Amino acid sequence: MARHFLLLLLPFVLAVSAPSHAAQKWGIDGEMTAQFEARVVDMLCELSGDCPENCGGGKRQLGLLRDDGRLLMAVKSNTLFAGATLDLLPYCGGRVEVDGLIITHPSMVIYMLQKHRKPGAEDWIQATAFAKDWKKRNGATDAKRWFRRDPQTKDVIGTYGKVGRPDLVPPPAAE
Amino acid sequence: MPRFARIALAVLFLAASLQSARAEPVERIRVEGELIDTWCYVTEIMYARGSAHYQCAVWCAVGGIPVSIRAEDGTLYVVLRVEADTRSVSNPSMVKIQSHKVTVDGDLIRRDGVNYLLVTQVADDQGVVDLTHEKFGIQPWGM
Repeated sequence: MARHFLLLLLPFVLAVSAPSHAAQKWGIDGEMTAQFEARVVDMLCELSGDCPENCGGGKRQLGLLRDDGRLLMAVKSNTLFAGATLDLLPYCGGRVEVDGLIITHPSMVIYMLQKHRKPGAEDWIQATAFAKDWKKRNGATDAKRWFRRDPQTKDVIGTYGKVGRPDLVPPPAAE
Repeated sequence: MPRFARIALAVLFLAASLQSARAEPVERIRVEGELIDTWCYVTEIMYARGSAHYQCAVWCAVGGIPVSIRAEDGTLYVVLRVEADTRSVSNPSMVKIQSHKVTVDGDLIRRDGVNYLLVTQVADDQGVVDLTHEKFGIQPWGM
């Protein structure tokens, strides 16, 4: 359990101690730092031809179409327990430079977005758009432990319990 | 018709053809498996299956991390659509059935080592049946 906790804290520790231009490794099997340019695409549009305006306005998963034709889905951002859609949405249909991790697992390949910028721009932007949006939506001053304070997560877990079934008693907290 | 107009029409027709040709080949399949949080499962940061991971799976789905179905043989299918609903980011209906064992029919699209599934019908929902919390506790952070 301690290892898991440290792994979750790792990106924040490294973010203040490492150069700002390099993606931070998480110690995950199959990970590789990857900084590249790509075109931001709506995954459903790219795969099926169903293409609404503005890549679905934040309600669809977005991907990175590399110049070699390879498509990577951006599944995670630098906000805990949050995806990367809101970070990439401003680049919909256009080009972006990204910095993060490609993670290759036997079951699939994914991308974790850590930073992004318009190609040619000097400054990188931290991939924390979900946290900013969450604060705005909830009138909060910060997004710390947003996942425990969010109305939707509280509603679902309040209804179904921490193990997904109200008839089951969760185990005691770990030491 | 002027020559430039014919050329413009030809270009438009070609562009339209390329747009429609971009859609990938589709295979109709039936999948039985557990809805999982794609990030935690792929990274193996913690035990990411069943009731042990239910709470985290709900957090991640609300946070917009893609939801996948893990079939019995370990194959992952990223869900990009459920019937007519094309929301694959923080979709309330998908949040509510996180960690459930389901059977779905759908259109499978394979690309660059990933299976994408456009669900056409949820045929069965058994709820949370993989009671992993009995062995692993609640992941992460205990309670």
